[in-house]
Order: sequence, then C-alpha cells, then structure tokens
Amino acid sequence: MDLHSEFILEEFRDAMPVFEKMQAEVMQQLRDALARNGLVVTAVESRIKTEESLAGKLALKGSKYTTLSDITDILGARIITFYTDDVDRIAAMAEKLFEIDWTNSVDKRKLHQLDSFGYNSLHYICRLPGYEYRFELQLRTTLQHAWASINHDTGYKSGVEIPREYMRRINRLAGLLEMADDEFSRIRTEITDYRRRVQQLVQNGKLDDVLLDGDTFRSYLKVRPFERLNQRIAAINQAEIQDVPLIRYLRVLKALGCNTLGDVSRLRNEYEEDAYALARHQLGNTDLDIVSSAVGLQNICIVCILKQGGGKIGLLRFFNALNGHNTQNEELAELTYNQASNLPFMK
Amino acid sequence: MTIQIENEGSVLVARLAGRLDTAAAVEITPDIQALAEQADKHIVLDCSALEYISSSGLRLFLTLRKESAAKGGKLQVRAISADIRQVFMMTGFISLFEIV
Repeated sequence: MDLHSEFILEEFRDAMPVFEKMQAEVMQQLRDALARNGLVVTAVESRIKTEESLAGKLALKGSKYTTLSDITDILGARIITFYTDDVDRIAAMAEKLFEIDWTNSVDKRKLHQLDSFGYNSLHYICRLPGYEYRFELQLRTTLQHAWASINHDTGYKSGVEIPREYMRRINRLAGLLEMADDEFSRIRTEITDYRRRVQQLVQNGKLDDVLLDGDTFRSYLKVRPFERLNQRIAAINQAEIQDVPLIRYLRVLKALGCNTLGDVSRLRNEYEEDAYALARHQLGNTDLDIVSSAVGLQNICIVCILKQGGGKIGLLRFFNALNGHNTQNEELAELTYNQASNLPFMK
Repeated sequence: MTIQIENEGSVLVARLAGRLDTAAAVEITPDIQALAEQADKHIVLDCSALEYISSSGLRLFLTLRKESAAKGGKLQVRAISADIRQVFMMTGFISLFEIV
C-alpha cells in the first residue's frame, strides 16, 4: 500500500468514533421516519466498513481519493422493502431527512438497457446535517436483495470469473424477479382498492352485495353492528364493555348460513330481542358488571341455533368452534340449553 | 383465597384456590402484577381449586391476557369449574381465553 493510502487509513482509524455516532443517528432517524410514515419493511440495517475492506478498496483505486471524505460508503445503510413502490416512498422520505449528493447517487433500476436485467437498487449518497462524511443508503426490495445476495455469493465469492452461460441464467432470474416484484405491488394495490370498495358498500348499507369473508367481516365490524345490543346487555348490570376481537365468529356465522354481510345483518335483526332476553335471564341474577363486546353476537348465535332446532348438539358445535374441542363444552352446551329452555322463544 | 406461583419447567403456573371476590382480587393484585411482568412467558392459571370468580377477578384475568398478548407470551386457563365457565360464557369472554 502506498503512503497516500496509509494516510487515508490513519484518518479512518481516527474518525471511527464519528462514524459510530453517525451510524446510530442515521439508524434512529430512519426507524423513526419509517414508523411516522407507517411504512413496514423487511429490514433496516447498516455497517461500517472494516479496515481490511477499506485497505482492499484503497489498494485497488486509492489514487481516486484525496481524503477519507471522498469515500462515500464507509458507512452504509440499507432498507429492504416488501414492495417495489415502497422503495420510491422511502427515497422521498430520505430526501427530507438527509442532504442528497445527487451527482454521486444512482438509481440502478434505470441504468439497464431495454433488453438487459440485473442488479436493481437505488443508491443515495447522503449527508447527515452537521457531519463531514457522507454515507450510502441502499434501497431495494426483498426480491432484489435476494438476487443481489445470491449473485454476489455465486459471482464474486470464489474470485473466479463465471462463464457467460451462468451469468445469463442469473440475469434471466433478475428479469423474473422484477416481474414478481411488479405483480406483488399490483396485487397490493388491487387488494387496497377492493377493501375500499367493500368499506364503501358497508357504509352505504349495501350489505347484500358484499360476500362474507375475513376482510369484509372486519370492515363490517368497524361500523360496530352489535354495539346497540351490547349496550342494552351491559345496562342490565350497569356493566362496562371490554372490546375483544370478534373474528372467531366468522366461521360460526358461515356455519349458520350467512354468505353475505346482508345475511349477518338480517340474523342480527331477527334474533336481537331474544339474544337480549337470554342475556337478561343469565346476567340479571348476578352482580357481574363487566361484559365483552362479543356478548351480543354470541347470544345471537345461540338463539339462532336454538330457534333453528340445533338443540344441545348445535350448541356443542358452536362452543367447539369458538373454544376448540373440549370435554367441558358439552357441560356448557347443556347448561346454556337448560337456561334458554325457560325463555319464551323456546316455547 | 390463595395464589401459589410455581415454575413447571419453562411454564409459570399460578394455582388459584378459594373465592376470587372483590376483596380477594385486591389481595392478589400484587401477585397478578408480578405475573404480568413475566407475561412474555407461558403462563397457566390453574383454577382447579377456584370456587367463584367475581367481576374484579375477571378483570385480573383480562389484565394478564392483555399483557400476555402485548409481550408475545401465552396464557392458558386450566381446569375451570362449570360455574366459572358459565361466568366466562355469560359475559362473552369464553372465546377470549384459551381454556384447557
């Protein structure tokens, strides 16, 4: 190594505490900004170049650099996203956080010829305000990262140039993954559109147009369709209502013949009064002053099963569906049946 | 009302015995808080000797469940009597807990 490179290495050793401080700040700012923007990513990672790696770089092209400040990847940070459009969103976020050295930043995604495929990544050379040294921020998708890692492993690790035939196959895979990335992004956009449409139908009360599934049931629950019944039940003992997830009831509702949200709505309207009567009968003689937000829907299901002639077996299936198979569910079904049998809707 | 907390391998087992009424709930709150601090673990509430549960008792169970969910732990309720199971059902909490 020549003397000039030795000087740069010496500068690197002295500047290590600065790079460590910079690394902590960059990571903190990136994580905070991702959280603020509601961006969920696969990984946020960083590293400071090792002395050995820097020495190797200087040995190859040391004359290119006047001082340590000319080397922009001593600190490298990387964000790996799920979706390709998140790369652009995070790039916009980074532009607000850091000073971008546009001359040295490069969007590798735009460098390919129309008929070539390969390394895809966005590289920003950034500066954290108040710091002399710049750092590199790489943004890529999980699939781009997988390709780059495997390509690095097969292409460079051995130090032997690999034949053109294998390079072609590796690059062909880059094209395939680019298509997969685009398709994942399209699917996400379409699912978001679908959810929006469902929410609109729910809000407009067009429930018969919405098939019952996990997504649509969640949207329906946002309009709190069982709240009025829950409040009536809570009023029996002036109880507080604790919010609990109701998604487990989806399979019960399907088993009860509900195919659309309209069916669920009709089920509620039809059995609400009897569900309330059951709750009053059960809770009226107790001092229980806490109920869950599932109590209304639970009682609607019980009443529906009993009125449709499901009997104890139907109730057992219901409790098994909710709690998993359990020998004590039989006892619970028996008890619930006996309690309900005194109520007018069972006569 | 008593509560005994023991380690069974990697599982924390809290054995509840007696009547968990409002006064007893106040009495065992520190024990439940101690359990909540370790809610990242697998916790079993053994109710085989629990005779009665009040709303205050239910609230303690709910606190523990919330902590367990937040910390990525596991909470199971073991061997509840028919009466207590009925309380869980009447209040709509039966599907919230893993009852074994």
